[in-house]
Amino acid sequence: MHLCRTLALMAGVALLVGCNNDPNPAPYHKTRPDGSPWRVRYMREPSDPKSFDPQFAYTVPDQQYLEPVYDRLLEYHPMKADPIELRAAMLEEIPRKELQPDGKVSYLCRLKRDIHFHDDPCFPGGKGREVVAADVQYVLQRLADPKVESPFFAPLEQHINGLHEARETGIAKTGKFDYATPVSGFEALDSHTFRIHLNGPYPQLLFWMAMNVFSPVAREAVEYYDGQMHDGKLRPTFRFYCVGQGPFRMREYTPRRAVRYERVEGYHTNVFPSDGFPPEKAEWLKQFAGQPLPLFDELHILIVQETIPNFVLGRQGYLDSISADKDSFAALITSDQQLTPKYKARGMGLEKVGLPSTFFISFNMQDPLIGKNVKLRKALSSACDMRAYVDIFYNGVAPVSNQLVPRGLFGYDPHYVNPNGYDLEKAKRLLAEAGYPEGRDARTGEQLVLTLEEPVESTEYRQRAEYEQRMLEALGIKIKINENTFARVIERLEQGNFQIGAGTGWAIDYPDPENFFMLFYSKNFPREGANYCRYSRPEFDRAYEQMAVMDDGPERLALIQQMNAMLAEDCPAIWEFDKAFYIATQPWAHWTHNHPTIEYGFNKYHQVDPGLREKVRHDWNRKPAWPPVAFGALLVAGLIYAVRWNRRRHV
Amino acid sequence: MFSYLVRRLLYAVPILLGVICISFLLDNVMMSPDAKASRVLGPKATGQNRREWIHNRGLDQPKPMQFVHYVGKLATLQFGTSWVTGRDLGEVFLKGVGPSLCITIPGFFAAFFASVGLALFQVFVRNSPLDRTLTFLSVALMSVPTMVYVIFTQAFLALGLSYFPAFGFNDDGFGMARFIMLPVIIFMLINLGHDARLYRAIFLEEMGQDYIRTAQAKGVANARVLGVHVFKNGLIAIITLVVAELPRLVLGSLLIESLFGIPGLGNVLVQAIQTGDQPVIMASVFLGSGLYLFAFILTDIFYALADPRIRLS
Repeated sequence: MHLCRTLALMAGVALLVGCNNDPNPAPYHKTRPDGSPWRVRYMREPSDPKSFDPQFAYTVPDQQYLEPVYDRLLEYHPMKADPIELRAAMLEEIPRKELQPDGKVSYLCRLKRDIHFHDDPCFPGGKGREVVAADVQYVLQRLADPKVESPFFAPLEQHINGLHEARETGIAKTGKFDYATPVSGFEALDSHTFRIHLNGPYPQLLFWMAMNVFSPVAREAVEYYDGQMHDGKLRPTFRFYCVGQGPFRMREYTPRRAVRYERVEGYHTNVFPSDGFPPEKAEWLKQFAGQPLPLFDELHILIVQETIPNFVLGRQGYLDSISADKDSFAALITSDQQLTPKYKARGMGLEKVGLPSTFFISFNMQDPLIGKNVKLRKALSSACDMRAYVDIFYNGVAPVSNQLVPRGLFGYDPHYVNPNGYDLEKAKRLLAEAGYPEGRDARTGEQLVLTLEEPVESTEYRQRAEYEQRMLEALGIKIKINENTFARVIERLEQGNFQIGAGTGWAIDYPDPENFFMLFYSKNFPREGANYCRYSRPEFDRAYEQMAVMDDGPERLALIQQMNAMLAEDCPAIWEFDKAFYIATQPWAHWTHNHPTIEYGFNKYHQVDPGLREKVRHDWNRKPAWPPVAFGALLVAGLIYAVRWNRRRHV
Repeated sequence: MFSYLVRRLLYAVPILLGVICISFLLDNVMMSPDAKASRVLGPKATGQNRREWIHNRGLDQPKPMQFVHYVGKLATLQFGTSWVTGRDLGEVFLKGVGPSLCITIPGFFAAFFASVGLALFQVFVRNSPLDRTLTFLSVALMSVPTMVYVIFTQAFLALGLSYFPAFGFNDDGFGMARFIMLPVIIFMLINLGHDARLYRAIFLEEMGQDYIRTAQAKGVANARVLGVHVFKNGLIAIITLVVAELPRLVLGSLLIESLFGIPGLGNVLVQAIQTGDQPVIMASVFLGSGLYLFAFILTDIFYALADPRIRLS
């Protein structure tokens, strides 16, 4: 009986405590040292970080987890996107390109002074030391170390002088990389100045410097956090522990729950920009110009895998923005792509994010049927109404793609008309010219049957596959869908074991057309590269090789136009769409920026108004008292009924 | 009884070996090492990245060697490391058990007490319109998919009434209570309809027994007949059904944990399936089968303990 009472009491207390629907833990502080309110930004990521190691982490979510902690050598100007502009972050200035007498290229880089690693037990006395040029050399050595499994090694080894050789010689003696091995592409001039020597022109190096791969890490930290027991305490591995030099330090990471960061006092690597403000926000943004970064004190990234809780938390005001995904789109966005009146009345804003990417359906150019018949490929391409496809499956948000280079990048031609775009009549004509009038073989009369490889991992994927099938079958041909997991489809594409492959495409690594045209370069056939179409045309290759190492300008643009024309002529793929989505921002956290091309690197520029958030949250989360009363009344009524029923039965 | 238990434990060994064999075979038939590498590393990984990844994990070794190595590690309860996060799986499972149990144990007891209570209440008002209504509602509860419960409770109790957090977890004592309320309510609702129907049938069967008639003839109050005599005797059948549920408690609930962000074993498994983290999936299969075998043995023991007429031999 006593136990029952205790349990009832505990349940009561739990219920009382439960009368608060805020899922976020209490902030680290309530006020700043100067008495002003402590500012917390609440974000959501759909998955856990795969790693916190800047030389290993590659995916966009991983870069978003890393960017608060690790600054980069360069960064994208948060306001300037047309054209995209790089600006110095840890470097004093954009590296100077130097042409060597032997035709090779070097970049002279100067690190800013007085940038320190965060205080951590891995340093003597626990005090973070200054970031120096040797830390950048260590980064290059880490790329060469096979144990780091850096995905950046392969794209950089052919360009950075001596990187490939460093791996060979570094592991030659023991099989384990020897960090005494120098990388000849790195030359230290003094403690803060260094040169990076390249094997030839490679302007994209500057974009790599704006990625976390070049974020300096401290050797002390990598060696200290080894995942082993020391003095009876288990140290985490460096892959899951951050010792950075950026605006925040990571305070907590709880797998599958959250990552929490706290502002580093005295961070001074960069300030809020004073130029490039978009006209519609210029007046508001002026107040932040020149302010020290970050604009808030604590960052809380909630790991929310599913889309429904994301929408619920956003509606309650416990996230600073809501991504308009398939489950919440109708509630947030009107048919003319505006915020719905309900959310507009809440004071929310709407931002469109367009990640430069191109998705396409690949033709196997080595397939004896489809690879040899250009008119057949063009007919299939012209049969695909991608506008309708995007309207159905992406709520009309994603822009239809008509060329390989996506919007926002140098080389994208807004006036370009895809000669293989949707035109069903033309498609039928082309099919007849290809030898299949009305979808039947002109010689045998048999219906043309083609196989479409489709990654089908959910009902929605299946619907997309069936829609693609229907578009192509409008030509009178038969499309057999070969459903598989995404990994299995990629495997079949890599083996060349397919005719038509869906689900292929590319999302930007860095904003350069080379990052997209390499998908059709013949030296990038699988398994080394991602030319799944196995497209091979010597003139295209020559143009690509020239274009890849050129600086932006009319000559480069002319080469891009030539390559576009070659792709249109050979039609190795059906262009589908670019990725884009809407984000609704809360009234207390309107975005200070919206870079249309880059998804990461701008967290420190965001602002929040904690006072407004507090007030609005309170209004949005009022608790009515009637439900428990109603529930209790129902129980009592049931009991009274039961007693009466029993009495009547026994009368 | 002892020899019976030893025999049952020995039977369990070939079953576990069979599970290991089948899961290893399926794993290797379904995906080549290269496909595994591209699943984990993503579509942008180069051939070189994938080769290194495969080599570092020993996936380029002959299959029989991989199998022997795998069984050897399992025999010493070493589950290896996650391919995606690089974390030790022993640690991952140990950390995941707590949050899973935080949901499933209160959920289990809530469901148990609510179902027994509802079943006894229905027996109390048997054949009344209220009994029929409750039976109808029980059938309705059984027919609703878990996802609907989750959406409904998140929309109504968390968003509409603002009583509980719609998402998240916190393991600091009482602070946890508000996070587990909704999952526990859902856990209870999922089981309530089915269990209440079953227990009602069990209790009604007891109501027809001679000893109940004797008690009623002696003038024992209806409530006492139900609460003491029917409940105690009905419990023998209920316990054996309930013990078989134990593995589910440890392994957590895939959907609920995933939709509420509870960092338990169910969530671990869902993420592993989504990211192609084979070591986690295979270790979960092994653990799950081990737990089920253990639960079946436990059921036999409980059955013997609850009913002295039963002897294990």
